[in-house]
Amino acid sequence: MYVIGNIALYLGIVIAAYSLLANIIGMIKKDNRWLESARGGVLSLLFVSSIAAALLLYLLGTSQFQFKYVATYTNETLPLIYKLSAFWAGNAGSLMLWAFLLCVYAAMVVFSKEKRNPMMPYVSSIMLVNILFFFTVMVLNANPFEMTGSIPPDGKGLNPMLQNPGMVVHPVTLYLGYVGLSVPFAFGIAALILKRMDAEWIKLTRRWTLTAWMFLTIGNIVGGWWAYLELGWGGYWAWDPVENASFLPWLTVSAFLHSVMIQERKNMLKTWNVSLIILSYILSLFGTFLVRSGILTSVHAFGDSNLGTYFLVFMSFMMLVSIYIVMTRYQLIKKESNQVESYFSKESSFLVNNLIFVAAAFAVFWGTMYPLISETLTGAKINVGAPYFNKVMAPIMLSLIVLMAVCPLIAWQKPAVDKFLKSMMWPLAVGAATGIILTVLGVKGIFAIIGLSSASFMLATHIQEFMRGTSARMKATKENPWKAAYRLTAKNQRRYGGYIVHIGIAVLAIGVISSQAYSKEVMKTVNKGESFTIGKYELTFNSLAERMKDGNGIVTADVDASYKGKSIGKIMPEKIFYETWPEPSSEVAIKTNLAEDLYVVVSSWESRDKVTFLVKVNPFVSWIWAGGIIMLAGTVFALFGGKPTLSRIPAIAGQKFKGR
Amino acid sequence: MKKMIAATIIILLAMPGFTAAYTYNSKEFTSIVKKLDMQGHADHELSTCSVKKVYYEEIIEMLNGGKSEEQVLQSYVNEYGQAALRTPGKDKSGLIAWGMPAAGFAGGAAIVALWIRKLKTKATAGSGIKTLEWESETEKQITEKVLDEERRKLF
Repeated sequence: MYVIGNIALYLGIVIAAYSLLANIIGMIKKDNRWLESARGGVLSLLFVSSIAAALLLYLLGTSQFQFKYVATYTNETLPLIYKLSAFWAGNAGSLMLWAFLLCVYAAMVVFSKEKRNPMMPYVSSIMLVNILFFFTVMVLNANPFEMTGSIPPDGKGLNPMLQNPGMVVHPVTLYLGYVGLSVPFAFGIAALILKRMDAEWIKLTRRWTLTAWMFLTIGNIVGGWWAYLELGWGGYWAWDPVENASFLPWLTVSAFLHSVMIQERKNMLKTWNVSLIILSYILSLFGTFLVRSGILTSVHAFGDSNLGTYFLVFMSFMMLVSIYIVMTRYQLIKKESNQVESYFSKESSFLVNNLIFVAAAFAVFWGTMYPLISETLTGAKINVGAPYFNKVMAPIMLSLIVLMAVCPLIAWQKPAVDKFLKSMMWPLAVGAATGIILTVLGVKGIFAIIGLSSASFMLATHIQEFMRGTSARMKATKENPWKAAYRLTAKNQRRYGGYIVHIGIAVLAIGVISSQAYSKEVMKTVNKGESFTIGKYELTFNSLAERMKDGNGIVTADVDASYKGKSIGKIMPEKIFYETWPEPSSEVAIKTNLAEDLYVVVSSWESRDKVTFLVKVNPFVSWIWAGGIIMLAGTVFALFGGKPTLSRIPAIAGQKFKGR
Repeated sequence: MKKMIAATIIILLAMPGFTAAYTYNSKEFTSIVKKLDMQGHADHELSTCSVKKVYYEEIIEMLNGGKSEEQVLQSYVNEYGQAALRTPGKDKSGLIAWGMPAAGFAGGAAIVALWIRKLKTKATAGSGIKTLEWESETEKQITEKVLDEERRKLF
């Protein structure tokens, strides 16, 4: 096993280096045989990385503790699903996953319908550089197939916080997002190298970018869901440096997905778009660097290791190469740019959209890195925690919501202010009515009310857009409303998929604003049989019981819960004491409905009869998860829409390849 | 004498430091806790974080000892520096931390505004097309109807 694993890793380096070389020779000599050989190399890499990944899964699943990685992250009693998910629990495994996904993406790209595209050897080469880096790092610094000095009878086990279904999904989807960004990045750079300044690379990579964005969205939301269930502090987003690192590329890719529409339609913002995708890709490497360098304290960090140096060097190299290529092509890009015809147009609104997204990314980046900057420059340690980010990001996100509310109503190219004002009336009225109703109902907090009103304004705009489109189609085709709505959206999946994503964001925003502004919390020490209240809930502590399961001690509190005097059943929060882990973990008990979550944690106890509970009532948290699901549905819908690429085969004039 | 006793009781009642025992659910306590950066397992709940327990007890003690929220926070800043708080302070370093996102946004907004202006100016200068003028309202209506009809065909 040891030999097979290590041969696979070394072969990964050799094949990646060979394929890269074959691509370079093929491109210089314009010889298709070399390019074909490089393509074969990519396929071989997929095979080799699959062998390595499958082997690691096998070792983890069968508890082969002679391997250091297996002994460090698993133990005998760990359920199989978590034994397997330990694949990405540590540095070496997560790098293996990254390399494997890169190989999958590279093979999919290289063997796609665009395989004859002249850009492909360049795309393939850029991805091969990435693959080469990951295999090299594994061999030099984080080998998942490293053996232990002596075989331990049992492993150390997996961090209890990672023993949650969310942790099976969250890292993989984030990696799929991070790695996915290498595809549009590679195409963008390839287009620049070939001086192809049209929007072809954008059309070719639209689905790839959207897929990467979708995975980043899933990764972030599932990460929040995991934190909410597992960490026991009642929140879902702590603005932890590593959370921020995964949010950064999401923001820049969101900006990119909007600005590419201008390039496609108007042949504008070419430098900007390629810069955005470079930035997104670099930020994905930056996230990995943050996790592995140990430069910032985070619950997600893998601990101190010198892997950060490797990533810093690689990140700097890729950044410098990208900047050099952009700079050398700048005049050419600029020469072919079009212009904006009106200040008040969709083009301008997309520029504002980009400004907000990038400003948000800058604010998050600044807040994340400032403790380090401050300590380096002044020697003074300071913290930039959640309250800072909440204050800084709230106005930025609010402006984004308002922009999302008005942007769909603005026309392309020409100013149509009258039409815009007319179409904005109804959604604006809905937003204003929301604010008035909330105020009349006695809801406090002016900023939260403004936020909720804006979200409902945005929601109303998009519903109106669906209704207007359906109504226009009904008039034109005499179809019934359902058929008209179906055909309308099916005819323009990209646009309406985007609208569905926007609706998801509005729903998510309602959840975030409400849960942040109107959450209630109580910490109460109660005796057996005693009751206490929080909001309209009453909780009665019945008993505290202990039991053993899979070698772990579990303490369960039995609590009766009622809402407005009506029983809503039992709540059983738990505290688990792991045999292999020094700290206990909390299993939160949650009663959830559309309006709010009752969130109960056993905090501590003096005796079986006296327990301290942390209880929270978090309004509209389920809307956050629902918003995420709607966003996912919208993205999938948009993914299957859109016209295929215009140019499948055309070779560059004068570029002839020999061979098959 | 009776008046003096009554006045003393009223004064004592009005001074929460003497009369009210603060708990983990007190508004002042939660406000302080939200501003303090608990090192260690900052985001864990009480039982899984021993450091947090110490902080909690200290804060309650200080509040019950008559210290105000600002005084409690300041005592931690005096002991651990600005790193005791979750947000930067009002010193030079803190102002840079708070001001930079706003400066970045303002700078970005200025660039975007100039950019749009530049692109728009170019468009105006480069445009040799005259604005179409309708000879009559009827002609305008007919053209609009034709265009609308064409658009419907696209459905």
